[in-house]
Amino acid sequence: MPQKNHYAFVIDISRCIDCRACLVACSVENNVPMNHTRIWVHDQGVQGEFPNLSRVFMPYNCMHCDQPPCIEVCVSGATYKDKTTGLVLVDQEACIGCGFCVEACPYGVRYINETRGVVDKCNACVQRLEVGLQPACEATCLGRARLFGDLNDPNSEAAVALKNARSVSRLDYEKAKIDTDPNIFYINAPEVETIKSTDPFGQMKQTDLPRDPHYTLSEDGWKKVLIPVMGAAMGAAFLVQAAFFTKQLVEGEKEFDE
Amino acid sequence: MSHFQSIPLPERRRLRQKQYKKHNLANILTHWFNVASWLMLLPTGIAIISSPRLGITPLWWQEAFRNLFSSAANLIKFHYTIGFIWIFILLFNVFVGFRKYFIPFAFHRMLLDKDDIQWLMTKPLQMFGFMKDKELPPQDAYNAGQKIYSYFVVICTAGLMITGPVMVFKDWFPPIVKQVAQPIHFVSAFTIVAWLFIHVYMGAVFPEEKEAFFSMFSGKVSAWYAKAHHEKWYNEKLKEEMQWEDEVEKEVEAGRHPQSETNPATLK
Repeated sequence: MPQKNHYAFVIDISRCIDCRACLVACSVENNVPMNHTRIWVHDQGVQGEFPNLSRVFMPYNCMHCDQPPCIEVCVSGATYKDKTTGLVLVDQEACIGCGFCVEACPYGVRYINETRGVVDKCNACVQRLEVGLQPACEATCLGRARLFGDLNDPNSEAAVALKNARSVSRLDYEKAKIDTDPNIFYINAPEVETIKSTDPFGQMKQTDLPRDPHYTLSEDGWKKVLIPVMGAAMGAAFLVQAAFFTKQLVEGEKEFDE
Repeated sequence: MSHFQSIPLPERRRLRQKQYKKHNLANILTHWFNVASWLMLLPTGIAIISSPRLGITPLWWQEAFRNLFSSAANLIKFHYTIGFIWIFILLFNVFVGFRKYFIPFAFHRMLLDKDDIQWLMTKPLQMFGFMKDKELPPQDAYNAGQKIYSYFVVICTAGLMITGPVMVFKDWFPPIVKQVAQPIHFVSAFTIVAWLFIHVYMGAVFPEEKEAFFSMFSGKVSAWYAKAHHEKWYNEKLKEEMQWEDEVEKEVEAGRHPQSETNPATLK
């Protein structure tokens, strides 16, 4: 079933000046703890050769992927892809903060809120969307670098900007069976496949993004060892029981059978 | 059971009629409380595990329970609320309220002796059709198979009771603890489920053990069943009974002489 809305971020990189007002707006709007952030601006440094120099800043947050690897590992279904908006959201009442998804996200946009013991990440300010407002980061963006909108609606600002873009690139992760199809479209910039992470909070490792999803030992061992072992144990127990039951049904029983 | 063939008919009839008390009301109530809790906890627990990568629970099951409780969070809340009631009442019964029906029972009836080991080496082979003519060694109130089962149940129940609250009080524990708790919770629950197939079949359906099922309501088994399946326990009961008879006889003996002078029956 095609979802009703296809919300996406369209980010005009040529307009970002690394002022980081979006980081502040996001943290204020969403009560993000002081030592964490849901949103980044990754400084890619000076590129090109003199005199044709440019400096690239990559605004960065949850990509709200079409096929998110984080949902694949969530045991309780706390992380889900919303059917109407297409946003990847976390039900923090159902989340226990085990961090399987933090390790599995190729973009490293999730963190664990230690005081509440839950996972947190960009939710595209659904609380604002519901009352007809734009996400805090977009609303505060001075240079109009950040645009957010419904790509299913051809007249939305984001859809128009995407249509008129000189270039479009996504930080798509495609390896093995995983194809994330991210929903942040970087426009009007040299096309990139990976970016350098420059995280001022130390929350994200200094690595190229997207990185390979990491499956923790508990999660991987559970899937590869414990499930087959428990399946075999239960299957064996069931078969033994079923064999005796069949024998009992075939042979019948008498009250004075000693 | 060849040596039972030498028991004459009237004696057999008497043994079938005679009842011995095997389970106390405390054990019966705790057992059925445990059953009721498991009936609520197991389906909801299975419904919670929705990870597509693990692929344990079918989607219709997940959605049925999420719809029934209106959301994943409510489903989880129901699961752990029942879970805490289960933990509290079970621990209270075993260690506080009904402790005298459980704690001595644990020491006397869980340890394996020589006969039990012999039984464990013979019985599984017999189940698959070998060594049919070999006599099984006499068993205590719980046979060696039941004893082994009890170890799994005790250990896995402890596993569930520890890992469950770890996941509920999520802000008290670091992520690594919660990561490990989940597979332990899973393995503990499904180890018990694997044994449950055998336990429920043996207890409620298997013809030779029919009496065991009814004893879980009435608490009583016939002497015939006790002799056939739990001979050591039966002998103990017999000893108790004979002691009691001796005591009664002594009491009557002691009571007769002083009474006899005033007994109206003898005055006549």
